[in-house]
Amino acid sequence: MYQYTDFDRQFVRARAAQFRDQLRRHLDGELPDEEFRALRLQNGWYVQRHAPMLRVAVPYGELSSRQLHQLARIAREFDRDYGHFTTRQNLQYNWIPLARAADVMDLLAEVDMHGIQTSGNCIRNITSDALAGIAPDEVVDPRPYCEILRQWSTLHPEFAFLPRKFKIAVTGAHEDRAAIGWHDIGLQLLKNDAGEVGFRVLVGGGMGRTPVIGSVIGEFVPWQQILVYIEAIVRVYNRLGRRDNLYKARIKILVKAEGQKFVDAVNAEFRHILEHDQDGAAHVIPQAELDRVSAHFRLPAGIDVRHAGSPMRTQGDVPVAYTRWLQRNVHAHKLPAYRAVTLSLKRAGQAPGDATGDQMDRAAELATRFSHGELRVTHDQNLLLPWVHEGDLHALWLAAREAGFATPNIGLLTDMIACPGGDFCALANARSIPVAAAITERFEDLDRLYDIGDIDLHISGCINSCGHHHSGHIGILGVDKDGAEWYQITVAGSDGSTHSGAAVPGKVVGPSFAAEEVPDVIEAVIDAYCRERQPGELFIDTSRRLGTGPFRAAADAVRRATAGATS
Amino acid sequence: MRFIDTRNNHWHRVEGEDGPIPHPDPQPDRLLTLEQWHAVRDTWPAALPTGVLLPNTLDVDTLAADLRGPGARLSLVVLQFPKWTDGRAYSQARMIRVRHRFDGEVRATGEVLVDMLPLLQRTGFDAVQLRRDQSVEAAVRALGFFPGHYQGDVQQPRPAFARDLAIEAAGPRDGTELFAGQGI
Repeated sequence: MYQYTDFDRQFVRARAAQFRDQLRRHLDGELPDEEFRALRLQNGWYVQRHAPMLRVAVPYGELSSRQLHQLARIAREFDRDYGHFTTRQNLQYNWIPLARAADVMDLLAEVDMHGIQTSGNCIRNITSDALAGIAPDEVVDPRPYCEILRQWSTLHPEFAFLPRKFKIAVTGAHEDRAAIGWHDIGLQLLKNDAGEVGFRVLVGGGMGRTPVIGSVIGEFVPWQQILVYIEAIVRVYNRLGRRDNLYKARIKILVKAEGQKFVDAVNAEFRHILEHDQDGAAHVIPQAELDRVSAHFRLPAGIDVRHAGSPMRTQGDVPVAYTRWLQRNVHAHKLPAYRAVTLSLKRAGQAPGDATGDQMDRAAELATRFSHGELRVTHDQNLLLPWVHEGDLHALWLAAREAGFATPNIGLLTDMIACPGGDFCALANARSIPVAAAITERFEDLDRLYDIGDIDLHISGCINSCGHHHSGHIGILGVDKDGAEWYQITVAGSDGSTHSGAAVPGKVVGPSFAAEEVPDVIEAVIDAYCRERQPGELFIDTSRRLGTGPFRAAADAVRRATAGATS
Repeated sequence: MRFIDTRNNHWHRVEGEDGPIPHPDPQPDRLLTLEQWHAVRDTWPAALPTGVLLPNTLDVDTLAADLRGPGARLSLVVLQFPKWTDGRAYSQARMIRVRHRFDGEVRATGEVLVDMLPLLQRTGFDAVQLRRDQSVEAAVRALGFFPGHYQGDVQQPRPAFARDLAIEAAGPRDGTELFAGQGI
């Protein structure tokens, strides 16, 4: 993975020192709340229900054992001993007092980490495929490009105060595991007929109140020019994006409103930069820079590239639990002797994506022992070990089970995405965690989970959509009605992955449900699927084939609170 | 970066009781609104030092002919931050510099806060009129935290990957050892 240079290290320390100065001025009363707000946000500090929330950047999801140990230490010493991994591959703390914020930033800087641009109306931390660099279906490893983009977007002086937040996702594989269609800019690396590398560029995707799938603005932008192309997009957005209405400020609204005019403006801006601006070509990426950054993403030392797969080394009968774990939590790798292994953060008794300090330490130890000290944070809020030798799988399973990471549910109903919701988040209309817990409890039986098969269940506590409810095969959205928590259910949404089909927002299944009805509704929807499915058909396919009708009928049949209102 | 206050500002708006006077007389050191400038531009003497105050919604390409030096018609461009979190003027400033090659003064007014200084400097502003309650000392300090940045800007057009960071680090800050071994 990327190793910080002296420049990177000095930069992050400078950022920590700058934040310390801003925090001091704030605590001294020189910098009022409303002016400190945008500054702290751009360092990852929100103010939430109980305390400030800190969002730590995990660039494109790559994390070392050393870093995770430090995150564990921060959880223990500054928080209430846990953290929450997010759909944007970051880590959030919920209980750190603001007065200690600068100390935490120093500790993060010690391990080359920070909270830069994890919030605020700027270019956010860049996300990617959790299998970047190891996926068998990969065309181009996206990580060097992600790192170049990270550096370019970090403290960009022109784009620090955009109309609204701006999210970029990058993939380099055939399968889209980064939901690029749902981002302000989605980048797909590909090769043209001549074997040259370039980007297919999508723009204007996003969730929130108005879900929109990004549209293609560039079919093939040569990799050398990608920074300039993005600069053109973001400049047009900075100049013309709406600032009068928070809900209409994302680039998706500008793209929809302007259509071809937006595309023309971006392409004209792009040409102008390259052809006319003073030093306009300065950000064309030279081969030497790509080579320098790519050198950081070579195979870890000691990786065995030659051997084809050898038989698993297990003793005696293979337990069913191990077989299930192999089936669900172990993924194919571009190197035949290796596997990627998901450490499930979806288990009864803990919120999806949560890990205690001890669990973080255990995961870091597993990475040291089995994965060359490297982990990934997945978009589905799990951890992943990218470099596991197949001969180590059984030993890893035993150790992961011991540490509580071996729930064999990856891709199944209980491997759900959920935001922290109203228990923590000041924005949320409703709680997510109790809903997630109730569903986890309801679907505890593994045989049943396996019978239901692959399904994406996504829960957001409000329309800001941090839990990606729009892209869930089943989506649950918390809404506020007269001060009470209600939940809107959708079906047939897609994040754009192969088995989910083209990215699309889910369709609403009738009026909202009361909190206590939600587990029954989910169960009724699942039962309807089990009745209606054709052999081998996944939930997403059945829901797309049949539309909302049978699911709405099944959900309505278990309504209690609003039973009278639906006829 | 020059810090402008009432004592060192020699530019004057041309206003009557009802706001800007529609057709001001040609005088040196006048700071005109965009409307005033449009009204007098064709008859305005070329050699007169003139400033213009631009709304942050303006496409600065429309002023291209007045900006391009040498021989630019304008000596000062004042850009506005109606709210400090409205970042449009950063793009305007950068375009005025790198696209239109303006070499006069680019000044920030409005809600200009000390923590904006690094962004202002890097996008091509060379003068700021801080909001009245802001401290010049804190603003100067805000300019000093970072030894260098990743991406190029108006001050330093080349991105980090095109610079010798070892030499840069040995510059004004005492950081001789900071970038040793960087190799790029």
